[in-house]
Amino acid sequence: MSTVLAQIESQIAKLSSKAVRKNTGIITTVADGVAKVSGLSEVMYNEMVAFPGGVIGIALNLGEDEVGCVILGDVSQLKQGDEVQTTGKLLSVPVGKGLLGRVVDALGNAVDGKGPIASSESYPVEKIAPGIMARKSVSQPLFTGIMAIDSMIPIGRGQRELIIGDRGTGKTTIAIDTIINQANINRVGLASGDPKFRPVYSIYVAIGQKNSNIVRTIAALEAAGALEFTCIVAAPAADNPANQYLAPYSGAAIGEWFMENGMDALIVYDDLSKHAVAYRQISLILKRPSGREAYPGDVFYLHSRLLERAARLDGKGSLTALPIIETLAGDVSAYIPTNVISITDGQIFLETDLFNQGIRPAVSVGLSVSRVGSAAQIKATKQVGGKLKGELAQFRELAAFAQFGSDLDAKTKSQLDRGSRIVELFKQPAFSPISIELQVVTIYALQKGYYDTADLKKVTATSVSIREFFKARQDALLTEIRSKAALDKDLEAKIVAALDAWKSTAA
Amino acid sequence: MAAVPAKIRAFVKQLVQLSLVDARVSSEQVAGILEYLEKNPPARPVAVLQAYHRAIATEIAKGEARIEHAGSVTPEALSAIAAALGQRYGRPVAAQASANPTLLAGLRVRIGDDVYESSVAGQLAALSAAS
Repeated sequence: MSTVLAQIESQIAKLSSKAVRKNTGIITTVADGVAKVSGLSEVMYNEMVAFPGGVIGIALNLGEDEVGCVILGDVSQLKQGDEVQTTGKLLSVPVGKGLLGRVVDALGNAVDGKGPIASSESYPVEKIAPGIMARKSVSQPLFTGIMAIDSMIPIGRGQRELIIGDRGTGKTTIAIDTIINQANINRVGLASGDPKFRPVYSIYVAIGQKNSNIVRTIAALEAAGALEFTCIVAAPAADNPANQYLAPYSGAAIGEWFMENGMDALIVYDDLSKHAVAYRQISLILKRPSGREAYPGDVFYLHSRLLERAARLDGKGSLTALPIIETLAGDVSAYIPTNVISITDGQIFLETDLFNQGIRPAVSVGLSVSRVGSAAQIKATKQVGGKLKGELAQFRELAAFAQFGSDLDAKTKSQLDRGSRIVELFKQPAFSPISIELQVVTIYALQKGYYDTADLKKVTATSVSIREFFKARQDALLTEIRSKAALDKDLEAKIVAALDAWKSTAA
Repeated sequence: MAAVPAKIRAFVKQLVQLSLVDARVSSEQVAGILEYLEKNPPARPVAVLQAYHRAIATEIAKGEARIEHAGSVTPEALSAIAAALGQRYGRPVAAQASANPTLLAGLRVRIGDDVYESSVAGQLAALSAAS
């Protein structure tokens, strides 16, 4: 007992006698998650302020007579006359590998019930994006595992590629497939022991979604074994708008830790439309002037400063961003969609019509683009899939013409048939990403006519059969394709031999 | 409490400037202003007076150091604190002491929006918040 008392006495003796200065204010009003505070004369913009009861806020409106603070926590305890103090700190979140496999809220607190986050570092939520000289061109591929995207709209590490479409067109599915594919690639790469292999860690930021959707996403990632390489930042619809506003920036801070420490990361913002709505709500409550569609004047800056933080750094790592935007009735010329389209390095446009026709993923190849393009493709994909986009474009033009049912010449019929087969080939079930070596084999088989004899409705099943054959019996060949990343004559001959072997077994 | 319109804020700011003598709130000046406002009531007189009241309270708080202490504090110590604060803020500061046993030991000084915490209770609270 005397030891215990001695410990307490020594702790008291250690207490510094130096005075600590704090700047304070008094709450004048609390409403809708925002507190108006008089005083706080030395508070800085975006500074964390401390309310009674351990509640945290951020000073967002610095007025002459009062400060508008967004409250990040339980507002029910706060009342007029409560004292507010500055903290001298910017809002930060814990970062590091300890967040992998965890679900956190916008402030970095664990919400998955698995105990506190193991982290020794924290990064500020708001940070200036890397400058021009710190960056490097995007040249390393990031494989989504979705054939339609990897062959025609390739994404590179450090790129920002927007996924845009109406509700229920498969935007989140594309993002989840990409995360699962990174996990699959990570497992293979880490098992190979290749010192040059760079795993990609994923961050999924859920903004304004239903809790049931978030649970379903977590379950899908867990079932695919992807959760161990993924951190989830959850700001569901039931969360206050301040947390929904901060969540993407917290996710970006977590991703920046990987990037700054020489690793590669992927971040999905699902979705930025809800993020803009949350920011609009906060701005209107703070009485900021509203503009088009009642959004505040800086709604472009809201997303530009977020997405500019995704980059490939020279001598360090990369952060690839897949922001998601939901359109209404396919209107890509609306305010927020056009803003984000102009910021990102390309878009994957999903159409409801294609989805309803059974073409899933419902990627509109005509409207989708990757501004990085083939710089982010391995040579093998360019060799087998370089002409696909052009062939599909011809098919779309001819398909409209063929609807009139007039007699068609042989060449037109063959182009229509080929286009239909390409469309069938690119159909892919959800949560089933295909490795790049299997994609190369699948598309190579198309180029060499291995699907020409199959019925159109059986093209998808035929491609599945080819991939199953190669996975079961041609593992060494797949490894060779993956490591060489280009098709030379020798490798092509081996693939043809393997495809012939498949054909004889399938006959 | 509704937001104060910009015109009223600007008017009250002028009144506060007129209420100061040597950077201190002068009771004679304030009485004169109140007399003027009574004879020449502005639009929304209640809102103007409420805003004026808050602004003058803030000005008074800037010139007054409320020193909470646990245990005894000598008048010399209070004068030294007031002088040090006056030097720091560049304006005359008057010290007002009050006993607060909950501090356990040490002092807490409030002047305007600033709080200088040098009490044991404050540091224990900071320790528990950090853990």
